[in-house]
Amino acid sequence: MERVADEVLVRRVASGDERALSGLYDRYAGLLYGTGIRYLGDRGTAEELVQDVFTSVWKNAAGFDPARASFATWVYRITRNRATDLIRRRKARVRTIDSEPLFEPGETDPSGELSRNFDVAAALSRLSPVHREVLTLAYFHGFSQREISERMGTPLGTVKSRTTAALRALRETMSFDENRWSTDE
Amino acid sequence: MSEHPETRNLLGPYVMGALEPQEEQEVEDHLQGCASCREETQDLRLAHERLADLAYTTEAPPPDLKNRIVAGIPRREARRRVPSWLAAVAAAFCVLAVLGAIFTPDLFGGGPLASATLSPTERAPKAGGEVSIQGVGENMEVRLEAWGLPACKHEHYYELWLVEGEERVSAGSFTVGPSGRIDLSMNAPNFAGSYPGVGITYEKDKNPDASDMKVLSGELHEL
Repeated sequence: MERVADEVLVRRVASGDERALSGLYDRYAGLLYGTGIRYLGDRGTAEELVQDVFTSVWKNAAGFDPARASFATWVYRITRNRATDLIRRRKARVRTIDSEPLFEPGETDPSGELSRNFDVAAALSRLSPVHREVLTLAYFHGFSQREISERMGTPLGTVKSRTTAALRALRETMSFDENRWSTDE
Repeated sequence: MSEHPETRNLLGPYVMGALEPQEEQEVEDHLQGCASCREETQDLRLAHERLADLAYTTEAPPPDLKNRIVAGIPRREARRRVPSWLAAVAAAFCVLAVLGAIFTPDLFGGGPLASATLSPTERAPKAGGEVSIQGVGENMEVRLEAWGLPACKHEHYYELWLVEGEERVSAGSFTVGPSGRIDLSMNAPNFAGSYPGVGITYEKDKNPDASDMKVLSGELHEL
């Protein structure tokens, strides 16, 4: 499952494969949940966002066309639309938080930050397991190069060169075309 | 100035700020005289910043959220309820299809693809079974006949999997009563048609992954 492309997993989801949905969840739920907390303001609404997005992926997977957009682009759009709905609904109630949300109704991720995050998450999922592991341990678990060396049982020099190779592979994999998302709409 | 290849391998930890002070100084000395490493550093720094942004935003969801989502999704219906007139028309087409299949076996492309004889594990030593797979449009029909299976306890069930290496694709779940016998048809996505193995596990919860309580397994042989 680890090296299966997102687009293949969506095709399996369309066929009713819950395990494929679980695989996509493992790749994107952390980003969705963190996005929800950061921009929607509370953990309960963030959970609702994650649940809504994956339920939508399950229901609409048959309509996903990889020729038109990557899975990351598709799930980004679902997330943005669902987050906007949640904000609209919350605005209809008494406003209880002071933080500024990312999405205002009618706006579409104006900073482009969320779309870039999906792009990077997709690129990360396409790396080899060895490259993904070294970056995940450093960035998502906060381990130092020496700690990664001890944890993986790999010489420190190898960890450093592997980290360099992994960042290079990530850079080559992801698109940095900043205009892609706006022209894609 | 340090050697180029050696320093180039340090550029990743360098842009992350993860080098020891002495190494960092060596890299900076090298960069002053090496345009290609400076260019590489710019590329790696961009990847580092994007990844750092992603890590900053990402947060682990509650451990039970995945199970809650999977438990809450609407199940694909194996058979839809159809109006009686439509059922009659469909039945007529089925008769024609059967006749067609008899006289022109390849016309509808739905012949048996593979079969397997299932062998028991220690969990169900008296169990046995046969599985046959048949292509039907977008999906495959997976036909199971099994016997000698221990009866399911309350809310427990069996699940049939098509297997390739570490991959498992569920063809469906079922329960077994005191007779220990089951004879039913299930569906699996046709991409799993090339999977070489089949197995049945005993499941105690709604975790979408296969449990380690395998009761029957076999190898699929193409027909």
